[in-house]
Amino acid sequence: MDKRMTADEVAAELRDGMTIGIGGWGSRRKPMALIRAILRTDVKDLTVVSYGGPDVGLLAAAGKIRKLVFGFVTLDSVPFDPHFARARQSGAIDVTEYDEGMVAAGLSAAVKRLPFLPMRAGLGSDVVTTNPDLRTVTSPYADGEELLAVPALRLDVALVHLNRADARGNAQYLGPDPYFDDDFALAADRCFVSAERVVDTADLSSAPAQSLLLNRGAVTGVVAAPHGAHFTSAAPDYGRDEAFQRHYVACAKDPEAWPSFVDRFLSGDETTYQSEVTRFQEAAA
Amino acid sequence: MAEIASLSAAVADLVRDGDVVALEGFTHLIPVAAGHEIIRQRRRELTLVRMTPDIVYDQLIGAGCARKLIFSWGGNPGVGSLHRFRDAVQHGWPVPLEIEEHSHAGMANRYVAGASGLPFAVLRGYVGTDLPNVTDTIKPITCPFTGETLTAVPAINPDVAIVHAQRADRAGNVQMWGLVGVQKEAVLAARRSLVTVEEVVDELEPVPGGMVLPSWAVDRVAEVPGGAHPSYAQGYSERDNAYYAAWDTISRDRDEFERWVERVRSGEVVRAS
Repeated sequence: MDKRMTADEVAAELRDGMTIGIGGWGSRRKPMALIRAILRTDVKDLTVVSYGGPDVGLLAAAGKIRKLVFGFVTLDSVPFDPHFARARQSGAIDVTEYDEGMVAAGLSAAVKRLPFLPMRAGLGSDVVTTNPDLRTVTSPYADGEELLAVPALRLDVALVHLNRADARGNAQYLGPDPYFDDDFALAADRCFVSAERVVDTADLSSAPAQSLLLNRGAVTGVVAAPHGAHFTSAAPDYGRDEAFQRHYVACAKDPEAWPSFVDRFLSGDETTYQSEVTRFQEAAA
Repeated sequence: MAEIASLSAAVADLVRDGDVVALEGFTHLIPVAAGHEIIRQRRRELTLVRMTPDIVYDQLIGAGCARKLIFSWGGNPGVGSLHRFRDAVQHGWPVPLEIEEHSHAGMANRYVAGASGLPFAVLRGYVGTDLPNVTDTIKPITCPFTGETLTAVPAINPDVAIVHAQRADRAGNVQMWGLVGVQKEAVLAARRSLVTVEEVVDELEPVPGGMVLPSWAVDRVAEVPGGAHPSYAQGYSERDNAYYAAWDTISRDRDEFERWVERVRSGEVVRAS
């Protein structure tokens, strides 16, 4: 079954109020072409689950997020995303801030179709006081220990970016880390994968079996998106575009400058974005 | 950090009477030679743990090494019953055997909980089966969010986990590939661990689908070529199906089985029947 579609077709599948999970990690292998497509729609009130990077910043700046469930939001080489910092400080978005391991446990519970999983992380920390909806669970055995219960993070849609995919939705990472993309995919009712290149199935066997992160049964749609993680990294295809990320941060910090960034880079389609990035890079060179 | 040792020294150092011992490996890479060494060293009162007790546990049970078995599914794969296991449960020969029966998913979750340092695991298994009626370690647990009743199983933290792998390097890092079961989880859950390997090499070349147990997670590595026989080690040996069939005859009869045990203890049986 050929599951290829465009980024705009993926974005058109989203509905107001949906819970969407975004793969990658900080400013690494984020499905940015899909995020940019969402910015071109009028979808709103999303609950976003993410190990956040500029995906969260851009969606927050566009007013798409009603609630964010996160372990962190960072641009890695730049500690804070200015849009997220502003939204967090002003209280413009609801937040569920977890420990990183708790986000993983919540996704894992959803993958296993369990309503919760027990864990030790978070106990004795302010994670419990700032998330009063959290509960504990008592071991039914002789130890009688009280553990934190992490509720499942079921997702309506997961968006992930990988290095390679075939048209059927088998998808492969070639970099150093799968992050939690497989859990995002399996925790969701539908997962859409963007990939640097869509290749023949046989070409996926040129890397070790461990690199085959998603099988087609977990994937609803595949988007060919060269440089689709830009300006985050998609190692080994490319590293993070640090100069462009600094430009993004400078504009995001400055309410006067941000509209012109949006106008230049985000108001057109993905082709326009990529060609403007090339012009930006040539001017900086 | 793992020490490279002989199999006999490793078993003598790590396995004590009364221990909870898990020999893991699913169809492939079953640590049979280590089981024979436990028989040779006449360990007693062991609680044996294994997802699929097959020939190696039939041998340990028949030799009187075990007082309890914690398991999910037991049998001689593709052949039939385990006659020594059956004799121990039905007639207490050579010693009585207590059993604690779980599902495969339950056992895997128990190792994962043990490896995670959690007291128990939560799953949806066991629903609609009689296992909760006969196994008192299977408990209901209520989701504190939805009120749904799920199943809890207690962590397993064996005193000793024993597994077989293809290779280790001289620093004791272990590499295995092919069909792996819960070896990683069993080793990480255990207080002590022994890995028998086909060979010790200078360097672990990466292998597709390969998994490495780091030296710091392992106590002893023993080089035992063919140590998984009659199961197999991918890339090294084929499964000896004739041995599984032959075991049925040996294990049916107490006298014939005792002659087999004597041959193991005398060192005549190093591997195979």
